[in-house]
Amino acid sequence: MSIAVILLALAVGCYAVAVLEGWAVHGRLSLTRPAISALALLGREQILPRTSDRLFFESGPVLLLVAGLLSVAVIPLAPGLIITDLAIGALFLNAALAYVLVALIMAGWGPNGAYGMIGGWRFLGQFVAYAMLIVMPITAVAMRAESLSTTQIVLSQAALWNIAYQPIGFVLFVIAAMGVAWLPPIDLPTGGGDLAGGVEAEYTGARLAVLRLARLVIIVALASATVTFYLGGWLGPWLPGWVWTALKTLAVAAGMLALGSRLPRLREAKYLELSWKLGITLALANIFLVGVIALVVPI
Amino acid sequence: MSASYVCPMHPEVTSDTPGACPKCGMDLVPKAEAGKHAHHGHHAQHRHGHHTAPAAEPKGPYTCPMHPEVTSDTPGACPKCGMDLVPQAEAGKHAHSGHGSHKHHAHTAAQEGQGGQAAHGAHRQQDAHSEHHGHAGHGAAPDIPGIEPHFMSMVELTEGKPVSPDGLVMEWVDVPFGPFFPGLPGGLQLDLTLDGDSVAGAEVRGMETAALPSGMGLDDLADRLADAVPLSPIAMRELACRAAEKATGQTAPKDALAARAAAVERERVASHLNWLAGVARQMGLASLARRATALQHRVRTADADAVAEQASAITSLMQGALNRSPMGPKLTGIGTLLGASEGPVARSAGHASDARHGDAVYSGLGFEPITHNDGDAMARLHQRRAEIDQSLDLIAAAGVIAMPEMPRATGDGHGMATLETPRGPATLHLTLKGGTVASAHLTTPFAALAAHVPELIKQMELADALTAIGSLDLDPWSASP
Repeated sequence: MSIAVILLALAVGCYAVAVLEGWAVHGRLSLTRPAISALALLGREQILPRTSDRLFFESGPVLLLVAGLLSVAVIPLAPGLIITDLAIGALFLNAALAYVLVALIMAGWGPNGAYGMIGGWRFLGQFVAYAMLIVMPITAVAMRAESLSTTQIVLSQAALWNIAYQPIGFVLFVIAAMGVAWLPPIDLPTGGGDLAGGVEAEYTGARLAVLRLARLVIIVALASATVTFYLGGWLGPWLPGWVWTALKTLAVAAGMLALGSRLPRLREAKYLELSWKLGITLALANIFLVGVIALVVPI
Repeated sequence: MSASYVCPMHPEVTSDTPGACPKCGMDLVPKAEAGKHAHHGHHAQHRHGHHTAPAAEPKGPYTCPMHPEVTSDTPGACPKCGMDLVPQAEAGKHAHSGHGSHKHHAHTAAQEGQGGQAAHGAHRQQDAHSEHHGHAGHGAAPDIPGIEPHFMSMVELTEGKPVSPDGLVMEWVDVPFGPFFPGLPGGLQLDLTLDGDSVAGAEVRGMETAALPSGMGLDDLADRLADAVPLSPIAMRELACRAAEKATGQTAPKDALAARAAAVERERVASHLNWLAGVARQMGLASLARRATALQHRVRTADADAVAEQASAITSLMQGALNRSPMGPKLTGIGTLLGASEGPVARSAGHASDARHGDAVYSGLGFEPITHNDGDAMARLHQRRAEIDQSLDLIAAAGVIAMPEMPRATGDGHGMATLETPRGPATLHLTLKGGTVASAHLTTPFAALAAHVPELIKQMELADALTAIGSLDLDPWSASP
């Protein structure tokens, strides 16, 4: 039952994020546009590039979708409304997101095109940058909750949300999450201006629809993970828990999209430099601070 | 063994005389020197005799798989990289030196008198290996900066591939960008040779030029020029008009000339805004691109009063592009071009080259050329922002905007005019015969600017290279007789 509810919520969430992305990129808030685009994609010719690596070409987008769905499985929508409340939920989320890299490199390599290939390998560089900054802030979150279970992590924020408790971790996690979901300004694998779609460049029709859907699922997964780890998940007054989760998730997604349309695309080397020299230092400081606070102030 | 010179990368390439390797173009080196790299090699004995202590001489039965010069009598970790030392038998697998014979190796081992058992194992493996590689062996890897010496698998994988200046050897790919590439001006054809994601070579082409047939009327000429160069049609009309006035000997009144100059300046404002929109789109600044495009549309056909109304919006947009959105790190130091001779690109590098300078009409409106110093992409943004402000002032000074009216064509004549278009000076040579165009020849700033591109983007990262090209504002459209 909860699987069906969560998948339905995910579908609505993906649609809402597509609407928000249209607003961020084109400045139009159209409720019908994503549906029309999706129908258009499904109706369009599906071109199979010559001498493509058929296995990678076909399975890349599907693997991406699977990775997104797996990561959603450990996000609680409301108390008890979760696909599987794993004791190691936060870790599982990381493990699932690791396949984003594999899937993108496969999708980039598969079509035997230069734009896609460069896009895929660029994402490998991007991965090296964001990988530590996804894990290290979660470490501090788990320290406070004394658990890796996502439900426990939400409950640990009853007195004070983690965004206030560990703001450095929040900022780092959001930046890393934008890297995982290759959202602008860290959209190196697709970079419209310099790779003409990159990984997406050679995909058409239904395959492109799967690729785009997978990306939306990953954006929703990361926005809801941000809500779970830092914004108190379903916690909130008056409204039912699932409404809070949904509203917060959309707000986080909208924030990430709006930020992206106002910043120029980062250079890969710059992202790497920032992530390692500044980001990891801050992440370590965050772990230390959270450790000290957790020992001294019991909230 | 008569050959005494060998390629450091291709041991199978040998020669009696010094010269370049036909495969990779590297200078051939004397054989003894090449042999130095091939530790454990069959020149070992020879080296002992004639050279002073080569560093890479094995002393013991254990060695590092990465650093053959590190040897030890006992197992342990490599002091350079911390890897476990391996018996030389195993190391030999990597650093085999091809065509040494079994006997020869036995001799070497016996001479060194250490680890006979382990060394013996090495011979058999080396011999097995040399059956596959019947040449002097990959042990002859040169010390390329950035590549560990003796890292054989890398050398094998990339054998025969060109080496880039950073020392990494990769398969280069030729990738077309354009004529319909989202990050570049429409019509621009850019062929890049990519070495990973950096540019190893580039070729730039404009559009096939549109034909200007002889025998057409002057109005027709203006229309055709405007169609052929769709990014600056008003400048083309004005250029045709000026050339025609020279050819027919007619002159327009001073006020009309100023109003026509204002039309060209209005187009410059719109064109620079359009350029900003393109550059913003290229680097993913969606909202800036949208606002610049919208303003550009509003300005393109506005009259002088409407332009004045938009002036503050334009100024604040440009100000915002420079200050609020962090374009600085993306543009500063990128695509520095000091060699351009004309147009905004040259002015941004400090050359006050402007066809408007010295023109009586523009002098009457108070024109002075503007320059900046750095000549990089950021300086071009500053330059175009200053030129937009200047153009707005010129329009305000003219007070009226009027489109050029072609003069009546009578008889024969020749006229030449040069006009500073938004991208630099365009020149039109016009010959009239019996009231119609006998020949017309247009030169646009494209070719001179595009010629700088290959040198400009060499060895740049792909995204930076495209940013650099975008910042030049190339217009590949043109027309010819």
